Amino acid sequence: MCAEMGPPQSCDADVIRKKAAYFTGVVDAVNITDNQTAIVRLSSIAAAKILLEQGLEPIMQVTCRDRNRIAIQSDLLGAAALGIENVLCLTGDHQRFGDHPEARGVFDLDSIQLIATLAQMNSGTLLSGQPLKKAPHFFIGAAANPCGEPLEMRLIRLEKKVRAGAAFIQTQPVFDLERFSKWMNLVRERGLHEKTAILAGILPVKSVKALEYMQAEVPGMRICPDFLQRMKNASAPQEEGAAMAVEIIKEVRRMKGVAGIHIMPVMWESITPEIVGAAGLQTTVMKKT
Amino acid sequence: MEIVTRQKKRHNRWERTLSHMMLFWEDVIKVPLFHCQRCGECILSHTGFVCSQRCPKRLRNGPCGGTGEDGRCEVYPERLCIWYLVYRRARLFGRIKLLYRIEKIHDWNLEKTSAWLNVFTGRTEAPKWRVPRDE
Repeated sequence: MCAEMGPPQSCDADVIRKKAAYFTGVVDAVNITDNQTAIVRLSSIAAAKILLEQGLEPIMQVTCRDRNRIAIQSDLLGAAALGIENVLCLTGDHQRFGDHPEARGVFDLDSIQLIATLAQMNSGTLLSGQPLKKAPHFFIGAAANPCGEPLEMRLIRLEKKVRAGAAFIQTQPVFDLERFSKWMNLVRERGLHEKTAILAGILPVKSVKALEYMQAEVPGMRICPDFLQRMKNASAPQEEGAAMAVEIIKEVRRMKGVAGIHIMPVMWESITPEIVGAAGLQTTVMKKT
Repeated sequence: MEIVTRQKKRHNRWERTLSHMMLFWEDVIKVPLFHCQRCGECILSHTGFVCSQRCPKRLRNGPCGGTGEDGRCEVYPERLCIWYLVYRRARLFGRIKLLYRIEKIHDWNLEKTSAWLNVFTGRTEAPKWRVPRDE
């Protein structure tokens, strides 16, 4: 089980420490986003290092939007030297959505090629073919979107990610259980759940507005109309949102092949312990030896 | 498994001239037909003859997570996701199995050179013309 947190839009390390306190002893690992939605934030390596000092296990996200193959490999070696070895490989949001829409997007690699790069670095060579004197031990992760169209293309891409070397997969937030179970069935059909650990994404929402915003603005998101209706009718939307998240977790955990849960409390880190407690999840504490 | 298209040799003077001449004819054919982006490492035959380089993120290995329910591109919502088109066309031609290939990391030196010449000189892989149709 893991959670996600976004670094602040400033150089204030105390914000990270404060957010980290919500997660300590509650989750196994914490994702650090890498300038999500293309908005400039404190770098994910620095934030991951701060979490490491706080005794948490960070999962560093790496996107291909901002760096070419030289910078990515160099940053990854740096991260490995600092003891950050869980990496989630993403293509990255397009710069058009962020606060610098004029920026040049790099996209030298894509997420599958990034996974392959990491796997190659694990085996002791850089992309150039240059051998590394000390090889890192990255635990490679990737993302998957169960709601995107066309469904078969999503699974082809997932299979490619697993083949390239992804050891765990975090999905986009699940709001449509029907669709998720359909996707999960297809994943099982291909036997992918045995080769990789699939963590279902859960996003607790604070208000109807947030849910409506996601449906309208976040591409590739499917939201079950029932959930939308429930949030609209709720007198206490915050409690309802948390209850809904717990319900989804319980439902998802019943499906075969789901290895874990990935909680994404966007701007609402403080709710994590409550949800984890209510859903009866337990940390397995996979501290590195 | 090699995951990068390695730069074998820079184009020499003759190759450059030839590349320019071939690129003219390549453009005449590939720009109107496929909106060719002249990446110089053509994977049209793997992607159902839809140029994947029209993607705003220039993805060569499949769609990003942002394709909407109706197959719209997240960056330019007024058009369809290129990979949605790729999938549709690959399905039509029975070439889905080619989408399972992990495409190599692109060699940017090949940009604006003739993809055909690059195949003939062994710089890039030959296109896969004949593949048995998917069942």
